[in-house]
Amino acid sequence: MSLNLCAVFAFFFVSFLPGVTVWAEDLNIYFKTTPRIELLRPYADPANMSLLITGADGRPVKQGVVDIRLDAPEPGGFFSTDFPFVEGTRLSEMRMELRQGRANWKFLLPIRGEYRLAVVVRTADGGKASKDFKFNVRENQKKWFALTGFSIGLFLLGLMAGRVFTAVPKSAMVVLFAVALLVESSQAAEPPRIPETENAGLEIEAGTVGRPTAVRWFLTNAEMAAKPNALLTLTITHLEKEKIAFAVERIPVGNEFSMKFQFTDGAEYRVVALAEVPGKPPLRSEKVIGVTAIEPPAKASVPALAYFVGLIALGLGAGRWTKRRAVVP
Amino acid sequence: MEKIIAIWLGLAVSEPTSFLIKSGIFLSVCGATLFVALAASYPAVHDTLHNVRHALAVVPCH
Repeated sequence: MSLNLCAVFAFFFVSFLPGVTVWAEDLNIYFKTTPRIELLRPYADPANMSLLITGADGRPVKQGVVDIRLDAPEPGGFFSTDFPFVEGTRLSEMRMELRQGRANWKFLLPIRGEYRLAVVVRTADGGKASKDFKFNVRENQKKWFALTGFSIGLFLLGLMAGRVFTAVPKSAMVVLFAVALLVESSQAAEPPRIPETENAGLEIEAGTVGRPTAVRWFLTNAEMAAKPNALLTLTITHLEKEKIAFAVERIPVGNEFSMKFQFTDGAEYRVVALAEVPGKPPLRSEKVIGVTAIEPPAKASVPALAYFVGLIALGLGAGRWTKRRAVVP
Repeated sequence: MEKIIAIWLGLAVSEPTSFLIKSGIFLSVCGATLFVALAASYPAVHDTLHNVRHALAVVPCH
């Protein structure tokens, strides 16, 4: 019996020995956003996201790759967000090479809630570490103000109607409400205008809200592809909102870079890739794609509509009560 | 006048019942209006009120 036990231990020891890796204890992974996480808001300006990977000695890891996966907040609570199909889905998935232990990218966060960022680092010397980060993005305050104003308007509408329906006097009232719309705009930075090249290509799957879309940039020129040493700047811009939805700047890539990215709004996006290959003029590729929108499920609309109708009903009750209280001595 | 006609036709109802009927009709109209404005997918309505839907934070849009 004990001999068998020893054999099992020996088997596992021998099996796992070649796969020994340096785990999270030897590599530190730090995540930072600019602006700070508390100041991030959905569909405001894109957040600068940054990962720093250091060794046990605190020095940045010189060479390695990092796999990054960003998941949207899970659906929860009574109300849905304004993009229900994005809730609980994968927003982006990509692999980046580390530069001085860092990986930086820009991302436009689409909804409020708790995001999950999974990071797996593999260093050139076989080290490996992973870490999950969770960060909470609060809703834009202007939206809460708009919702409060709209709710008060509906309550007052119900209140007036309640008073009219209870009224003894034969007067009619017409109540008009105007809701101020909040429209904000900001200018997205344009990449430098460089003529498009045929030495590089850009492939983008048909985009649909709710599922990640494959985005691939590659060198088509055989001479350049043979000596891959390019720095890639990739920018995805939401054309209607004129905001950068995603961007990486001068990241080292081989002869191709691929990622999965979810276009969270059913609108037009422009994808621009600008590659710098040593000794060659910049290579620019551009595509404008239309993303297929998906109708939100009815169950996502029901809570909001029930809330609004409930407010009117509450107003009706309050109107009747105030009218009766005024008439009955 | 409408009360006289209602009594003459035998349709007179008490004041609370009248309030409930009026309120029910009013709520139905309001609910239908809100549905069309905030949840319907008719392109003309959706495109016009797209920003309003997003501005209200709790209204789903695509």
